[in-house]
Amino acid sequence: MIASRNTGAVAAAATLLAAAPLSAIFQTWTWLIQCVIAVAVVAGVAALTRLVRAPLWGQVLGMLAALLLALTWLFPSGSELLTFLPTPATIGHFADLLTGSAQDMRSYGVEVPDTDPLLFITALGVGGVAVLVDVLAVGLRRPALAGLPMLAIYSVPVAVYVDSVPPLPFVVGAAGFLWLLVTDNVDRVRRFGRRFTGDGRDVDVWEASPLASAGRRLAVVGVVVAVALPLAVPGMTGGLLDRLSGGTGNGSGTGRGAGGSSGRIDLFASLAGQLNQSEVADLVKVTTSEPNPFYLRYAVADELRPSGFQARSPSGRPANRDLPDPTERGGQGVQQVRYRATVEVTKSLSMSLMPVYAEPVRTEDLNSNWLYDPSQQVVFSNRENSRGRKYAFDYVRSTYTPAALRAARPLPADHPVRRQLTATPGPVPEVEELVKGLTQGKRTDYDRVLAIYQHFSADNGFSYRLSTASGSSGQDIVNFLINKVGYCQQYAAAMAWLVRSAGIPARVAFGFTNGSKRDGDTYTLTNLNLHAWTEVYFDGVGWVPFDATPAYGVPGSTRSAWAPDTDAPEPSTPETGATDSPTGPDSSAGPAGPDNADRDTDTGLSLGGEKPAEQAPVWPWWTAGVLALLALLAVPALRRLALRRRRAGRPDATVATAVGDDARSADGGHVMVVEADAGRARADAHAAWAELLDTMVDFKVRVDQTETPRATADRLVRDALADDTAAVGAARLLGRAEERARYARNPLTGEPLPPALRTIRGALATRADRRTRFVATVLPPSVLLRWRLALADASGRLVALTGRIRYRLLRWNPRRMLADRAAR
Amino acid sequence: MTQQTWDEVGGLLPHDEFRAASEAIVANIEQVIEGKTATVRLALAVLLAEGHLLIEDVPGVGKTKLAKALARSIDCTVRRIQFTPDLLPSDVTGVSVYNQETHDFEFRPGAVFANLVVGDEINRASPKTQSALLECMEERQVTVDGVTYQLQTPFMVIATQNPIEMEGTYPLPEAQRDRFTARIAMGYPDSNAELAMLDGHGGTDPLNELRAVSDADIVRQLIATVRQVHVADAVKQYAIDLVTATREAPDLRLGASPRATLQLLRTARAVAALEGRDYVLPDDLQALAVPVLAHRIIPTADAQLARRTTDAIVSELVHRLPLPHDRQRNPYDTRPATGNGRAPYEPRRP
Repeated sequence: MIASRNTGAVAAAATLLAAAPLSAIFQTWTWLIQCVIAVAVVAGVAALTRLVRAPLWGQVLGMLAALLLALTWLFPSGSELLTFLPTPATIGHFADLLTGSAQDMRSYGVEVPDTDPLLFITALGVGGVAVLVDVLAVGLRRPALAGLPMLAIYSVPVAVYVDSVPPLPFVVGAAGFLWLLVTDNVDRVRRFGRRFTGDGRDVDVWEASPLASAGRRLAVVGVVVAVALPLAVPGMTGGLLDRLSGGTGNGSGTGRGAGGSSGRIDLFASLAGQLNQSEVADLVKVTTSEPNPFYLRYAVADELRPSGFQARSPSGRPANRDLPDPTERGGQGVQQVRYRATVEVTKSLSMSLMPVYAEPVRTEDLNSNWLYDPSQQVVFSNRENSRGRKYAFDYVRSTYTPAALRAARPLPADHPVRRQLTATPGPVPEVEELVKGLTQGKRTDYDRVLAIYQHFSADNGFSYRLSTASGSSGQDIVNFLINKVGYCQQYAAAMAWLVRSAGIPARVAFGFTNGSKRDGDTYTLTNLNLHAWTEVYFDGVGWVPFDATPAYGVPGSTRSAWAPDTDAPEPSTPETGATDSPTGPDSSAGPAGPDNADRDTDTGLSLGGEKPAEQAPVWPWWTAGVLALLALLAVPALRRLALRRRRAGRPDATVATAVGDDARSADGGHVMVVEADAGRARADAHAAWAELLDTMVDFKVRVDQTETPRATADRLVRDALADDTAAVGAARLLGRAEERARYARNPLTGEPLPPALRTIRGALATRADRRTRFVATVLPPSVLLRWRLALADASGRLVALTGRIRYRLLRWNPRRMLADRAAR
Repeated sequence: MTQQTWDEVGGLLPHDEFRAASEAIVANIEQVIEGKTATVRLALAVLLAEGHLLIEDVPGVGKTKLAKALARSIDCTVRRIQFTPDLLPSDVTGVSVYNQETHDFEFRPGAVFANLVVGDEINRASPKTQSALLECMEERQVTVDGVTYQLQTPFMVIATQNPIEMEGTYPLPEAQRDRFTARIAMGYPDSNAELAMLDGHGGTDPLNELRAVSDADIVRQLIATVRQVHVADAVKQYAIDLVTATREAPDLRLGASPRATLQLLRTARAVAALEGRDYVLPDDLQALAVPVLAHRIIPTADAQLARRTTDAIVSELVHRLPLPHDRQRNPYDTRPATGNGRAPYEPRRP
C-alpha cells in the first residue's frame, strides 16, 4: 500500500515534469501553478480512494470528479455553490472557455499570454493526463504505457512550434518518465524480498548493483542521444549544423529558421548562413504588375536587445479578411499606387512567414491560418508554412518625396511607438557621439535620417564584404563603424541603431532584393538575394525603407527618391525621382539596377564570393581526400619499415664485434669482452629477435609468450621453414643469439644477424600465399597488433583508474555514510 | 668427522674435463640401463645439484638397478637400506651401544653414513622410520642421543618406490617428499633397448662388471663447477614465476615450497653444465619442472576426481606461463616493466 502511494505520488510528479515543454508556449508561469493544483488534487483523491480500497473504476471516477472540482475552483463562472461545486452554468462556462481556446489558439502566436481559455484547456489536459498516468502506472501497473499520455503533452509544443523545441524541457520530461519507471521497478524488486549478495550478506542501500547502474547508463545515453541527434541532423530543428557551418544545406533548414515567428531564431544568423552558401537555390518566384518594385519582405526585427536586433512574435488577424488600407495615410507628396503580385514559394523555402510586398491590402489563396500583423506588416502563421505555396495579393506601394518626409513632425517623446521603437540597450558612447555629429544642425527627422544614411557611403570608407563576422550587438555595431566593412546585416542594423539613437523609430526589415533573374514581370529570387534593410517611421507617413548597403554588393538592389544611392556617379543623382515614384527608382537606380548589379558582381569585385565558390572545381578535394586516405592507410606499413630500419640500422656494430671476436680467437683463451661491445651485441640480438617475432606475426606464424627463444626457433624451423637449410640455420642462429643475449654471461658476437633475418623473411615470403604477403607488406599485422594491444592496455588502465576514482567518490556517498553510521 | 665444504675441495674443472668426467659416468651407467639416456643424465644432474633422487615406477623397470649403477660408477662409500615395515629409525641413523670394554656408550653409525645411500622400496617402512631420513637429507647431519654427527660429502639418497602397490605401504610424508630434489620415472624401455637388454643380461648381470669411473673428489669438483653456472636474473624470475604459479593454481591444494625453487635452479645449473653450457636457460627449467615440482604438490579433491595427475597440472602450468622479460625484449608486451609476468593475451595452445 505504501509502495503504491509512493508510485502514485511519483506518477503525479512525473506528469508535471512531462508538462515542462509547455513552458515554451506560455509567456508566464501561471499555467504551472494551475496545473500543479489540478494534478495535486487528482493525486490526492487517487491516494484517498486507494486508501479505502476502492476498485479501479472507483478510483477513475474519483479522480475525474476531483479534476472537475479543481477546474471549477480555478475557473469560476460566478455561479458555483461554495465556490467549487459545479452548476450547469459552470459547465456552460467551460464550454465557452473551450470555444474561446480554439479562437485563441488561432489568433495568438507562441509565446501566448495568459488567457483564461488557454489556461483552462492546459489545466484540463494536464489533469486528464494525470488521471491516465495514475491509472496506468498505479492501477494497471504499466508505467511504460503511461509514457504515451505524457508524450501527448509533449507533442503539443512540438505541434504548435514550427521551429525547434528547446531541449531542456524535453530532458525534464524524460527524467520524469524515467523516474516513474525506476520507482515502479524498485517497488517490483522489493516485492521479491531482501536483496543479498552471494556470500550471504544483505546488500547495503548505497551499494551499486550492476544491473541498476547499467539501467542508469542506458537511461542517460538514451536521453542524450534523443537530445543530441536531432540537434546534429540538419533540417530537423533549426538546423544547428547549418548555422554552425555557415551553410552547406539546401536552404530549407535556414529558410525555416528565418521564420521569425518564435522570436528565438536569429534572423541575422540565418541571413548570414544563406548568403554564405555556395549552393544557389531558387526560393521565390514573384510576378508583379509594378514596373520596378521595391524589395519583397517577409520579416521584421524591431526589438533591440544587447545582443542585437531580434524579431518579436507577430500577432494579428487572419490575412484573408479586410486588411488596413494605407491610402488613408496619403498626403501631400505621397503617391500611392495599387498593384497586384503573385508569389510562388518553392519547396526549398519553408518558414512560417509569407514574403509579400509592403503593404498588402487583399490576399487570395491564403486560408485563415495565415495572419497579418499590421504593425510589422508581415504575413505569418502559427501552424502552416510557406513551402510550395502559391498566392496572390494586392498591395499599395507608397512613394514619398523628400519634401513630404521633411514635413513629417517628430513623434512626441511619450508616444508608444517612439518609446518602444527608439529603445536602445544602454548608451554606446561611440554611437552617441557619431549620431550627435551627424545630426547636428539638421532640423527635420528626415534630414537627420538622411545624414545617417549618407554616412554609410564609399566616401566615408564603407565597403561591402560578405565574409565579415556577423552580429548586430552594440559591440558589433561599434566594430562595424570603425572597420567600415560589412554586408547588409551590418548596414541595416547599424543604420537602424543610429536612427534610434537619434530618437527616431527604426527597425530592420528582412526580405529579398529583386535579384538578377528577371523574366518580364517575373523575378526569380534565390537565397543569395536575401537582404536586410532599415525602415524608419515618420509620423503620419508610416514606415519608410532605407537601404544603406552599398548597391554594388547587392544584386537587384533598388534605390528610392528619398534615399538616393550615395555611391552612384553624378549623372544619376535623383533629381528626377523627386517627382514620381514608380519610375523614379527605376531611373535613379540606373547603375544599381538589376542588370547593372549583375554586371557589377560579374566584373569581379569579388565581394560576394558566392559565384567563384560555386564554380570552383571539385577534383582537388577528391584528390586530396584520396591522398589523405592513402597516407592514412600507409601509416602501418611506414611504421613497420621504420622499425625494421631502426633495428637493422647498426651495421658498424657487427663489424666492430667481429673484429673483437677475431682478436679473441687469436688469443685463444678467455678474453674479457669489452663491456660496451657486449652491450651492443646484446642490443643487436634483441633487435634482431624482435624483428624476427614481428616477421613471424606478419607472416601468420604463431608467436607464443611462453616459449623460450630456442623453442620458438625450433618451432619456426619445424612449422614454416621445413627444408630450407639456409633459413633453418638462420633461425637457429637468431634463437641462439637471443638466448645468449638474454641468459648467458657473454652474448654471441660476430654473427651476421641482419642477413639471417633477411634469409628468414625471404623464406617465409616464398612459402606464404599471395594474400599473406600483401597484408604483410601493406598492413603489417605486427604493427596493428601492437597498436591494438596498446589501445587495450590504455583502456584497461582507464577503466581501472575510473574504478578507483569511483570507489573513492563512493566513500562520500551520503547513503553509504548513513548506512555506516547505522551499522555502528 | 668434519664436513668438507665444497669450496674447500672444489677445484673448478675446465670445460673439457667436466665434459669428459660427466660423460664417462653417464656412459658407464648406460652399460646397465639401456636406452634411458635422459633419465640417467637427470639422475646424474641431481647428484651434481647436491640433491636426492626419488625413482618411482612400476616394479621391474630397473629402479634399483639405476640406483646401484650410479652408486657403483662412483668410487665412494655406498650403503643400501632395504626399507621394510619393521625397520626402525635407529637402523637408519645409527645407535649408541654400551661397550663393555670401555664401559661407555659408543655410537655405531647407521646406514646413512655413506656418500650414496640407496633406499629401496622406501614407502614400505613406517612413517616413523621414514622420518629418520628428514634431518640427514636436508641438513646432512644426524643427531643421536643429543650428539650431532656430520655426514660425508657428497651425500645423496637415492630412493625407489612403487606407486602401484598400495598394500602394506605408507605414502611418503609431505616433508619427506619435499626433500627429494627430483622424482623420476623409469618408463618401459623401447623394443630395441629391451632386445639389447635380453642379450646383455642373458648370461651375467652387467652390474657386477661395472667399474667405478669416478670418485668422490671428482664429483666434488663437478659439483663446484656446477655451482659456477651463470643464472640470469630473467631465469631466476622465471623460476619464481613457475613456483608461484603452482601456489596460485586453482587445481592445487599445496604448491611448491621455496626449497623447491632453490632445488629447481640447482638442478637446472647441473643440467646446463651437463649440456656443456655455462648459463641456465628457461628451457632447462621447463624441462625440469615436472621432475622437480610434480611430487611436491597436492592437487585439490576436484582435480583428483577429474583424474588430473600432478605431472599434467605442472606441465600445463609451464605451457601457460609466459617468459619474464622486459618491454624492450618483448615487443608485444605493453605492460609496465614491473608487471607480474602475465601475458596481455592468453596464448593459444593447439
